[in-house]
Amino acid sequence: MIVAEWKPIPELLASLKGHKNVLLVGCATCVAECAAGGEREVLTLAPVLKMGLKDQGQEVNIITRTLERQCEPEFVEELAEIAPQVDAIMSLACGIGMQLVAERFIDLPLYPGVNTTSLAIREQPGLWTARCAACGDCMLGETFGLCPVARCAKSLMNGPCGGTRKDGKCEVDENTECIWRLIVERAEAKGRLEDLVKVRPSKNWSNSGHGGPKRMLREDLR
Amino acid sequence: MAAAKPDSNFSPEIVALYCRQCLDAEERPQEGARPAKGFNARLVMLPCSGKVEAYQMLRILEQGADGVLLVGCPENACRFLVGSRRAEKRLTHAGQLLDLVNMGAGRLALKRAADLTTADILALAGQLAERVKTLGPNPMKGDSL
Ligand code: SF4
Ligand code: SF4
Repeated sequence: MIVAEWKPIPELLASLKGHKNVLLVGCATCVAECAAGGEREVLTLAPVLKMGLKDQGQEVNIITRTLERQCEPEFVEELAEIAPQVDAIMSLACGIGMQLVAERFIDLPLYPGVNTTSLAIREQPGLWTARCAACGDCMLGETFGLCPVARCAKSLMNGPCGGTRKDGKCEVDENTECIWRLIVERAEAKGRLEDLVKVRPSKNWSNSGHGGPKRMLREDLR
Repeated sequence: MAAAKPDSNFSPEIVALYCRQCLDAEERPQEGARPAKGFNARLVMLPCSGKVEAYQMLRILEQGADGVLLVGCPENACRFLVGSRRAEKRLTHAGQLLDLVNMGAGRLALKRAADLTTADILALAGQLAERVKTLGPNPMKGDSL
């Protein structure tokens, strides 16, 4: 899922300064799964913003909505009726959903309520950890299903950096497994350690963000 | 600028959300407004304290109540095993958000108890009412700005 987290409350309050009617809009898909922007979080944030603004001497009316998916125009259209009643929109969707809302309601200021941070899984209740960095040239087939791009602090391609802690954690973060240790262990368990020393063709980074904004075109679907 | 001392001369409105499993077997569950000495209480019965969400507590305060009391079962006596533990985590989360907007986490309280009567719940609400008096009336009532 795409993972996001609330921006700090003071930042959110500052962005709504001077607004009287605000639409706070969530998304029931990824950001709901990561407990940042689903209906529950929309309902949680709305009273917090109202109380915070009141504390600063500002009365604000907050209308709440949660779309099935904020990254699909059909669902965003559901806001058309409510948009004329507000003077700003705050979105709790990922950056993708937010941009679609901003584009559809071009006359209204759009404020991000969250920071979109990663492509992650829910590893435990209340803990999300990155799994993919959308690098555009997936190498999971060579690394036994473990991604060194997203999960190695240095995105190393050819083995551990040498700083792996004794307990197997990454030298950069004591709470994160060294992914290269896990890759080596998995290779060993499968009796395929020698696969890791094979010379591989260099990775095609031009299909990642380095090649400019991505554009995927499928004539058969147009 | 020094903060003005909050007005403690008011009758706090306390919403008491209580788990029905906390009640004494003989006690008939009661809901709704209950005037008490020095404060007003509104009782709301829950199937389990773990049913409560942070946003519900926040919304009650946003709508002007002065305090929210959550009454759950003793930690190891929850019929849903982790309900009252969940309730505590959600209340803590809501309290942290309240602190960030200067409302004060002190407007929320969790009490764990068993075999309660309605009078016991009102007594617990009274304890919160006393604490809330030190915070002053809820500014969301619209009369203190
Ligand atoms: S190798 Fe690239 S595409 Fe594959 S999981 Fe890692 S970041 Fe994602
Ligand atoms: S310790 Fe492991 S995960 Fe951390 S930077 Fe080094 S190789 Fe990458």
